[in-house]
Amino acid sequence: MTYFMSLLLMALVVGLVAVASNPTPYFAALGLVVAAGVGCGVLVGHGGSFLSLVLFLIYLGGMLVVFAYSAALAAEPFPEAWGSRSVLGYVLVYLLGVALMAGLFWGGWYEGSWVVVDGLKEFSVLRGDVSGVAVMYSFGGGMLVICAWVLLLTLLVVLELTRGLSRGTLRAV
Amino acid sequence: MNPYVLAILLSSLGLGTTLTFASSHWLLAWMGLEINTLAIAPLMAQHHHPRAVEATTKYFLTQATAAAMILFASTTNAWMTGEWSISNLSNPLASTMFVAALALKIGLAPVHFWMPEVLQGLDLLTGLILSTWQKLAPFALIIQTAHNVDPLLLTLLGVTSTLVGGWGGLNQTQLRKILAYSSIAHMGWMIIVIQYSPQLTLLALGMYIIMTSATFLTLKMSLTTKINTLATTWSKNPVLASTTALVLLSLGGLPPLTGFMPKWMILQELTKQNLPIIATTMALAALISLYFYLRLCYAMTLTVSPNTTNSTTPWRTQTTQTSLPLALFITATLGLLPMTPAILMLTT
Repeated sequence: MTYFMSLLLMALVVGLVAVASNPTPYFAALGLVVAAGVGCGVLVGHGGSFLSLVLFLIYLGGMLVVFAYSAALAAEPFPEAWGSRSVLGYVLVYLLGVALMAGLFWGGWYEGSWVVVDGLKEFSVLRGDVSGVAVMYSFGGGMLVICAWVLLLTLLVVLELTRGLSRGTLRAV
Repeated sequence: MNPYVLAILLSSLGLGTTLTFASSHWLLAWMGLEINTLAIAPLMAQHHHPRAVEATTKYFLTQATAAAMILFASTTNAWMTGEWSISNLSNPLASTMFVAALALKIGLAPVHFWMPEVLQGLDLLTGLILSTWQKLAPFALIIQTAHNVDPLLLTLLGVTSTLVGGWGGLNQTQLRKILAYSSIAHMGWMIIVIQYSPQLTLLALGMYIIMTSATFLTLKMSLTTKINTLATTWSKNPVLASTTALVLLSLGGLPPLTGFMPKWMILQELTKQNLPIIATTMALAALISLYFYLRLCYAMTLTVSPNTTNSTTPWRTQTTQTSLPLALFITATLGLLPMTPAILMLTT
C-alpha cells in the first residue's frame, strides 16, 4: 500500500511539472487531469473516498472540461509540443527543483506510514470526510450561504470584466 | 458602470473585509481576502483600456499568489499542529509563510514591486480604495500573527519598506506612483512597531488612511495625475492648493500636523525598547520621503510656473464633485495632533 501511495504521489509531482512547463493551455489541462486523477487516488488511500469521488466528478468532470473547451476555442493551429527544446528545458529545470527538494527532505523507510483519517482501519460507514460534509451543511450553513454569494459574485465579476465585446482589451470579438 | 453591479461589487468589498475581521479560522480569513480580490477586479478594469486591464491582471496575480501562500501556510500549520485558529501559531514555518504572504498582499518591500505599476493604471478613486480599504483585512491578520514571528523578519520588512518607499519615490513625476511609494513607506512604519505595540500599528494605519484619502481626493478634485498638471491647479482652486501643501507635509510627518503623531509614537516606542539605531534609520528614511512630498508642495503651492495670463485667472465655477469627504479628510489631516491622547485611548 505504501508503494502504491508513493507511486501515486510521484505521478502527482510529474503531472504538476507537466502543468508548470506547458507549451499551451491544452497540454496544461492534460497535466491537470493526470494530477487531479492521482490526487483523488491519494485521497482514497487516506480514507476520504467520498471527497475523492466529489473531486473527480466536479473538478475533473465539470470545471476542467469547461476549461478544456474554452482553451480549445483559443487554440493555436500549430502548438509546440513537449518534444521541442524550450519546453524540454523548462521540464528539466522543474525536475531538477523536485530532485533538490527530495534530497532536502529525504528520510528512511521508517519515517512515513500511511494511515487513514479516522482511527478504525476498515470497519466504518461514516468516515471523516462524510461526517465533515454533514457538519458543513449543519453548523457551517452560514459559510455555505457566503460561498453561494461568492459564486454569484464571480459570475458577475467575469461578466463585468468581459463586457463590451471587442471595445475592451480582453476580447478579440 | 451599471449601478446594480456597482452596488454588488462595493457590498462584496465590505463583506470580504468584514469576514476577515470576524474570522478565527484561517479558511474563513482566506475567503474574505479572496472576496476582496474578486470584487475589486471589475472596479479596476471598469474603463477597459489596456493600461487598466494590465493593472488588474498584475494585481490579481500577486494577490492570488499571496492567497495561495496563505492557504499553503494554513494547511501546513494544520498538518503540523492540528490548529486552524489564527492566533497562537506555534509552527515557525507556517507563521513565517503567513507574514510573507501578508507582506505580499499589502505591498511591503521586498515584495512591493507590483504596487507602483498597479496604482499607475487605475483612476484615482479605485486607487484610493486599493490603498486604504484593501489594506484593512490583511492588517487584521498581521496583527494577530505578528507576535509568533521571528522579530528579525518584521524589522527587515519595516526598514526595507521605508527605505524603498523613500528612494523609489524620488525620481517619479506621476502622482499615483509617488502615492504608491508613499504607501510602501507608511506600511514599513506600521510593520516596524507591530511586535512591540500593535496599538501603534492601528494608529499608524488609521492616520495613514485619513492622510492618503485626503491626498487622493485632492488630486481627484483637481483632476491631475502628474506633476506637470499639478503645477497649474492652484488657480482653479486656491484654497485647495494651500491646504494641499499642508496635507503633503502631514504625509511627510512634520509637526504640528497629524502625520507627526504615528511617527512620534513609533519612535518613542522603539526608543523605549532599546532600539536607537532602528529608530534613527527610520527617521532618516522618512526624510527621503519628505523630499518628494516637498517637491509636490513646491510644484503646486510654493511656486507658479510660467504661464499665459488667462490660465492664471480661470473662471472658478462650482465643482460637480462631492466635496464633503475631501473637506473632512483635510481637516482631520491637519488638526488631529492635539487629540493624540484621546486617539491613543481609542486604539488601546
